Amino acid sequence: MSSTPRTAAAAALQEGEAPRERIKVTKVVDGEVVEEWIEVAASDDAPRWQAREDLRLLDSDLRRVDGPAKVTGRARYTHDVRLPGMKYGRLVRCPYPAARCTVDVDSATALPGVRVVLTIDDGETRYLGQPVAAVAADTPELAEDAVRALAVRFEELPWAVTRDQALAEDAAPVGRDGNVADVRTDGDLDAAEAALATCDATVEATYEVPVQHHVCLETHGVVVDYRGGDEATIYASTQWTHVVHRERLPERLGLEGSQVESVVEYMGGGFGSKFPTGIEGRMACELSRELGAPVHMMLTRRDEFLLAGNRSGTHQTVRAGATADGKLRAMVSEVDKLGGIGRGSHPGLPYVYDVETSHLRIRSVLTNLDSNRAMRAPGHPQASFAMESTVDELAHQLGIDGLEFRKRNLASLVYHRQLDAVAEAVGWADHPNKVGPDTSDSEVKTGIGFGVSTWGTRGRPACVVTVRIGPDGAVTVLSGTQDLGTGTRTYVAAIVAEELALPLDAVEARIGHSSYGAANGSGGSTTVPCLAPAVKDAAHKARVAVLARVAEVLGADPARLALHRGQVIHLERPDERLGWAEACSALGADGLTTTGEWVASLTDAGVHGAQAARVQVDTLTGQVKLEKIACMQDCGLPLNRLAVRSQINGAIVEALSYGLFEERVVDPDLGVMLNACLGDYKIAGCADIPEIVAMIDDEDTRGPIGIGEPPIIPTHSAIANAIFNACGVRLRSMPLSCDKILDGLVANGTWAGGEA
Amino acid sequence: MKSFELVRPRTLDQAVTELAAGGAMPLAGGQDLLGELKEHLADPERVVDLKRLEGLDGIDVDGEGNLTVGALVTLTALEEDPRVRERFPVLAEAAASVGSVQIRNAGTVGGNLCQRPRCWYYRTEDTPCLKRGGTECFSYAGKSKYNAILGGGPSYIVHPSDVAPALRVLDAELELRGPGGERRVPVADFFTLPSEGDVLKENVLEPGEIVTRVRVPALRGTWRSGYEKFRERDSYDWALASVAAALRVDAGRVVEARLCMGGVAPIPWRVAKAEQALLGPLRDESAWTAAGREMVRGAEPLEHNGYKVPLARAMIVKTLRRLTT
Repeated sequence: MSSTPRTAAAAALQEGEAPRERIKVTKVVDGEVVEEWIEVAASDDAPRWQAREDLRLLDSDLRRVDGPAKVTGRARYTHDVRLPGMKYGRLVRCPYPAARCTVDVDSATALPGVRVVLTIDDGETRYLGQPVAAVAADTPELAEDAVRALAVRFEELPWAVTRDQALAEDAAPVGRDGNVADVRTDGDLDAAEAALATCDATVEATYEVPVQHHVCLETHGVVVDYRGGDEATIYASTQWTHVVHRERLPERLGLEGSQVESVVEYMGGGFGSKFPTGIEGRMACELSRELGAPVHMMLTRRDEFLLAGNRSGTHQTVRAGATADGKLRAMVSEVDKLGGIGRGSHPGLPYVYDVETSHLRIRSVLTNLDSNRAMRAPGHPQASFAMESTVDELAHQLGIDGLEFRKRNLASLVYHRQLDAVAEAVGWADHPNKVGPDTSDSEVKTGIGFGVSTWGTRGRPACVVTVRIGPDGAVTVLSGTQDLGTGTRTYVAAIVAEELALPLDAVEARIGHSSYGAANGSGGSTTVPCLAPAVKDAAHKARVAVLARVAEVLGADPARLALHRGQVIHLERPDERLGWAEACSALGADGLTTTGEWVASLTDAGVHGAQAARVQVDTLTGQVKLEKIACMQDCGLPLNRLAVRSQINGAIVEALSYGLFEERVVDPDLGVMLNACLGDYKIAGCADIPEIVAMIDDEDTRGPIGIGEPPIIPTHSAIANAIFNACGVRLRSMPLSCDKILDGLVANGTWAGGEA
Repeated sequence: MKSFELVRPRTLDQAVTELAAGGAMPLAGGQDLLGELKEHLADPERVVDLKRLEGLDGIDVDGEGNLTVGALVTLTALEEDPRVRERFPVLAEAAASVGSVQIRNAGTVGGNLCQRPRCWYYRTEDTPCLKRGGTECFSYAGKSKYNAILGGGPSYIVHPSDVAPALRVLDAELELRGPGGERRVPVADFFTLPSEGDVLKENVLEPGEIVTRVRVPALRGTWRSGYEKFRERDSYDWALASVAAALRVDAGRVVEARLCMGGVAPIPWRVAKAEQALLGPLRDESAWTAAGREMVRGAEPLEHNGYKVPLARAMIVKTLRRLTT
């Protein structure tokens, strides 16, 4: 084995000099990545990511450590929890958008197997599907029977379920202060109007985005293991293990927080909708307390659509203009967020692109529907659709291709290189119709469209991570974080294994228990920037501590020891080596425990992203066939390249499904949701997914940054632009479905079927 | 779903007796019934499982080329049968277009023909839909994207079966068995318009009566046939519009044409004038256009389904283009 030092610090140690090191750091200034070299003391006291070429595990493709458990069904999700004496809970929903209701509890308790019925809110409901009661029974089927048997007298109240209804003069009041909330303006309207008047090309359009649902594979819910006494365990399908305590669920059981352990070992998707455990969490605790028995309370699929959150809809009216040389000069926009009784999400317009002068009026329009919740890049996909469509419409008017026009209005060169990369990946150079629709005789037209994204959250001190090393060399890392499907468990183990020079399978990552330590919720792409530094810190401290103990036993200077490929080596006496397990016997019977916290220098913030979509449009039937979608995304140090690409793939699938198929349909006269099931709420399946090229921007040399949100932002926008580029039909409302394309082709006189 | 008694008869006589007792519904592949039970669109007292009946799961071709398909034959079996593929490609293609592999593995021919509508007003328990004994067809003034452009009123459902239009152009007959014995009904007479039959039903089946066999007469001469289905979502979906076509070709000319559409009307929609328009030279684009116009003549689109008129015509062109190449 070679004893050649692997780092500058090690080399300096060998030479006995005071170690100094020059390192490159990067930061984002006005959306621009700025790199600089700084000199730092190469002290072992400060954890630092190794140089990329020195990494064995991180920055490579790692298979998920829990993959086999998941695909074999060994992984226990909340839904899978079965406990002795467990009862099944169900919620009773209000079938009206607003109603006064009276629950006759006795009407269901008489049924065999029905154990308890609790009223939730014996008063007025404010949204369609709002739960009014909860039941618990011996089986899920009996619980369903109890829901149907329960007599609830509903007196329908006036309601509004559409934007038009909510804004009508005689509209039913949804909120206490009317149906419009949170009105905000930004920019100088007069200046923006004046700038608009000087533009060489202008567009005036309304872009509509429907409500999208999260459609988590595992529905929302909890299993409360309380059997009387003074302790309980709450299994929750949540993206925040500690939310159970934050929502004070222990109090609902009559217990102290310390008497309740929350468990999220595996969870089947959240996408932002599973921060709260919601009414179902609260009622499961109350039913369990009432019964002194465990309660399994998972929402039904119909519940999911009606009361478990959604991505808010958006109505965006835009007037924008550009100069003949292709610079965005003015934008006046009015944005209505449609988040039911919630406030909706939207980052505002203009979005990402530089516009010289702009004015924005943004507000929430309330309706009697379930509140929106966070959903993967909240608000950004909606803003992207309006912005990228506007950009594309102006580019087309000016006869400038979509790629060039975008570069002229994006200052950051990171976007330029990413756009070039995705353009190349979808064959832009050879694309014959770059500046306008395909006018060839071909019935099937090909189009390419682009979109960009941004995301700016950063880490913060939120996680405390513990590393335990046993005297037998067993390494365990514990964190109260959770894996909402992104591969958290794997990179937690990998960071520790990397630091201790051990193979990945030598480290066991235990997560998803509240007793494993403080951790933030997984949302806003903040898991990595909050958690990874704390894991690294704990691992770093463990390495230093192990070497110190071993040095004592060997009578060596700890600064002369290093870990390398599962061994402790002496930098000057390479023959004196100890195997890892042998070295750990020096730790004594108790082994070693270290805790790590957030270290600012171990993470960064602010990412870009670009996507291109190539589509085919059949101008006879209006059918869109996605051919290829390419994405390039920067994310600092990729902790697991395979997981990063999976994040990109998953985001693109979710976004193309949003773009092509998804829409909550509510009948405006009946106040009934018409597609609250997966037969009618259509999501993309395998046959709808094209080749996806997921690229990591390796020119970004910063520390690790979360990657969950940004790749979901521009896909549907790129598809809409590609459809226009192919066939000349501009779709200003989603989903981008064949009926609208066909209507557009007929209206444009370009339908391949001849005279309509 | 509501609790029910599961009955598993072994003979057709027993099955028919059980079904005739009232409050009973037949179960075959369960691909439609289970959804209906779970959504409380159907709340039978008793479910009669037909899967143990013998002799209804075979595909036979007799010496004269006549095809018989048992009602319990799965869509996968129909799709994969080499005789069906060779002699009646329209039927094999229609079967292959249904749902997903899993659905076709379980779903049966009889069940596909007797499945209930997909209209979301019908499928949503909270609406008092006309077809569930309510007062109004809400799609008429409501969200009508997936509803009928032809033959609608007072209900505007479309019939969801893919197999039905294929059998219609094959001039097939259905063998039915009920309390009153056995009878044969041409597919042409099996499905009923809401304005003609009982609006609560889509066909002529009497209470307790089931489809037992499909009989397809041999095609004499040289035929080309095929099924084209437009799905909004490729992975699995019902037809927004589909076309079953069968052409008898002689000396480079179409001498007999049969054309039937799915997804546009409450029944498989066959129009004689559209078929006549196709007679003549084998590959004549103007004939396809003319056939399309005849097919959608009299169409009365609702607020959100006007696109189905050009789509129907487009699918006819697509189908005939393929069959005449």
